[in-house]
Amino acid sequence: MIKADRVFGIIGLVLSLWFYLESTKFNYMAEFTPGPGFFPFWVGVILAILSCWLLFDSFRRKPSKEDTKRVLPEKHALYRVGFIFLMLVGVRMFMPFLGFPITVCLFVAGILFSLERYGIGKSIGYGMAYAAVIWVIFEHFMEMGFPKGFLGI
Amino acid sequence: MEIFNGLMGGFAVCLTPYNILMSFTGCLLGTMIGILPGLGPSATMAILIPITFGMDATPAMIMMCAVYYGAMYGGSTTSILVNVPGESSAVITAIEGHQLAKKGKAGTALGLCAIGSFTAGILGTLGLVAAAVPLADFSLKFGPAEFFSLILMGMLTIIFVGGKSIPKSLMSAVIGLGLGCVGTDIVEGKDRLTYGIAELLDGIDFVVLVMGTFGIGEVLVSAEEFRKVEPINVKFRELFPSLKEVIQVRWAVLRGTLIGFVIGVLPGAGPTIASFVSYGIEKTLHKHPETFGTGALEGLAGPESSNNAATSGAMVPMFALGIPGSGATAVMLGALILYGLKPGPMLFVENADFVWAVMASMFLGNIILIIMNLPLVPAFASLLRISYALIYPAILMICVIGAYAISTGLFDVGLMLMFGAAGYFMKKADIPPAPMLLALLLGPMMERSLYQALNLSYGSMLTFVTRPISATLLALSVLMAVSVGFKSVQRARALVTDEDKA
Repeated sequence: MIKADRVFGIIGLVLSLWFYLESTKFNYMAEFTPGPGFFPFWVGVILAILSCWLLFDSFRRKPSKEDTKRVLPEKHALYRVGFIFLMLVGVRMFMPFLGFPITVCLFVAGILFSLERYGIGKSIGYGMAYAAVIWVIFEHFMEMGFPKGFLGI
Repeated sequence: MEIFNGLMGGFAVCLTPYNILMSFTGCLLGTMIGILPGLGPSATMAILIPITFGMDATPAMIMMCAVYYGAMYGGSTTSILVNVPGESSAVITAIEGHQLAKKGKAGTALGLCAIGSFTAGILGTLGLVAAAVPLADFSLKFGPAEFFSLILMGMLTIIFVGGKSIPKSLMSAVIGLGLGCVGTDIVEGKDRLTYGIAELLDGIDFVVLVMGTFGIGEVLVSAEEFRKVEPINVKFRELFPSLKEVIQVRWAVLRGTLIGFVIGVLPGAGPTIASFVSYGIEKTLHKHPETFGTGALEGLAGPESSNNAATSGAMVPMFALGIPGSGATAVMLGALILYGLKPGPMLFVENADFVWAVMASMFLGNIILIIMNLPLVPAFASLLRISYALIYPAILMICVIGAYAISTGLFDVGLMLMFGAAGYFMKKADIPPAPMLLALLLGPMMERSLYQALNLSYGSMLTFVTRPISATLLALSVLMAVSVGFKSVQRARALVTDEDKA
C-alpha cells in the first residue's frame, strides 16, 4: 500500500499542477465574487498540499501489515481485468460500425470464450441471447435509439 | 397535522397500481442485484439508474428508493449465506450471520434480518417524516452563506468519518471538486477544462462517474478471479425464527433502530458506522459478550436494524437540505437532479406531492420486501449458484447502455470507461470514491453559494461569520477538522516515539 500511496501522491501532484495551470487562464476574482479561476486555483493548491502530505507520510511511516498487502493482483487476474477493459473499449470503438446488437453479442461471446472457457457455440449462443434480451428491453420498449451499424440493425 | 395530511396525500399518490408496480420492481431488482457478491447498494443503484430513464420523477424515485432497500436486504442475504459482504455496512451481518448459517440456522439469521430490517425501516421512515419537515422549514431561513457553510461541513464530515486514510479521502474529494469545475462557470460563462469538447459544456454527469467508479470499477475487481460461490442451503420452512428468538432480540432491534436513525442523520456517518456502533453497544450490554463472533442473535439483529434505520436517517438531510449523507444517498441525490428536481428545502414547497409520495412509498417498500423476500429467499439464494461469468458481462453492458442513454452518444461511454479504470485502481489502492462523487455533486453547489453570498455582501467574507447559523456551522466544521487533525498528530507522534525507542 505504501507504493500505491506514493504513486497516488505523484498523480495528485500532476493533477494539482494541471488544475493550477488551467486556473491561470481565467480571472481569479470578479468585482465582488470569486472569478472562474478561483476554484481551480484552490483545488490545485490544496491537492498539491495533500499530495505532499501523502508522499511524506508514505516515506515516514513504518510499513504495517496492511502496507505489505499486494495492491495489484497476480498476473493472471491482471490479464483478466485488462482483457475485459479492452473489450469494453472495443465496444465503444466499434458500436457505430457494427451496431448495438452485434457489438453486445461479440462482447459477451468474446468474454465467455476467451476468459471463462465456454465453448465457441455456447459463447455465441449466450451472446445472441443477451443481445436479443437487451435489445427488446432497451431498444424495443424503451426506445433508447442505439447506433445502427452497417447492417442497419 | 400538516405532516399527517401530507403523508395521507403521499399514500394516495403512491398506492396507484403503476407506482405499486414500480416499488415492487425496485424491490425485486434491488434484491436480485444486491445479492450478487461484491455489489453493494451504491453500485446496485448506479447500475439500475438507466432503467428509470424516461420515467416521471415520482415513479422513478419510488423505484430508486425500493432498489436501495432491496439492495440492502440482498446484501444481507449474501453476507449470511456466502460470507461476502457487498459493502462495509454488511460486515457485521457477515460476521454473526454466517456463523449462524454454519450452525444450520441460516433461516433464523435471514428471518431475524428481515424482521429487524422491516421494523427499523418502518420506524426509521416515521422518523424521516417527523424530522424532515421541521428541518426543511428551518432551512428555509438559510441563505447562500448558510448553504456554503453547510455544504463545507457536510463534505468535511464525509471525508473525516468516511475513509480510513484522511489524506486519501481528502484528495478524492478535492479531485471531485476539480471535476465539478469542468463545464461552463456560473460567474463569467467561461468554459473551464472542456478543451472545446461540446459534450463537456454542461459538466461531467454524475451518472457517468457513479457508473464508472461504482459499477465498472466494482465489477472489474469482482471479475479478477474465477468465481465459484457455494451458498449455504436454506429451505422455506426453516426461514422463520421462533417466537422466543424474536422476543429475545426485540430490544436489540429497537436500540439499533434508534442508534441507526440518529447516526444516519449526521452527514457522512452512514449505515457502516451505525452498524458498528450498534454492535459495540449490544456486546457491552449482553450478559454473555463472549458469544459475539460466534452467531449471537442480538449481534446480528441490532446492527442489521441500525443499518436500515440509518438508511432512513441519511435521507433526512438529503430531502430537507439537499446534502447527501452517504455515498448511496449521493447517488439518490444525483438521481433527483436527473429527474429534473432541485434538491433542498424548496423541494417541500415546490414539489410537496413528490416528496410525500416518495416517503409514503418507503413504508410500502418495506412491506413489499418482507412479504416478498421471506418466501423467496431460497429462490434468491439460488441466484448465487448462477455462474458469475454469465452475470458480470450483463452488468457491464447495462452500464454501457446507461452511459449511452445520458446524451444518446458514445462520448459519455468513453468517459465512463475512464472512470471505471480509475475506480478499479482506487479500489485496489484503498482510495474511497464516495468523497469524489459527493464533491462532484456538492462542488458546483458550493461555488454557486459562495458566489451568491459574496455578491449579496459586496465581497465581504465576514458574512460567513456574522450570520449566526453560518457561523455555527463553520465553527462545527473547524472543531471537527481540529479534533481529527489532533488525532492525526497524536498518531504521528506515537509513531515517532516508537521509532525512537526502536
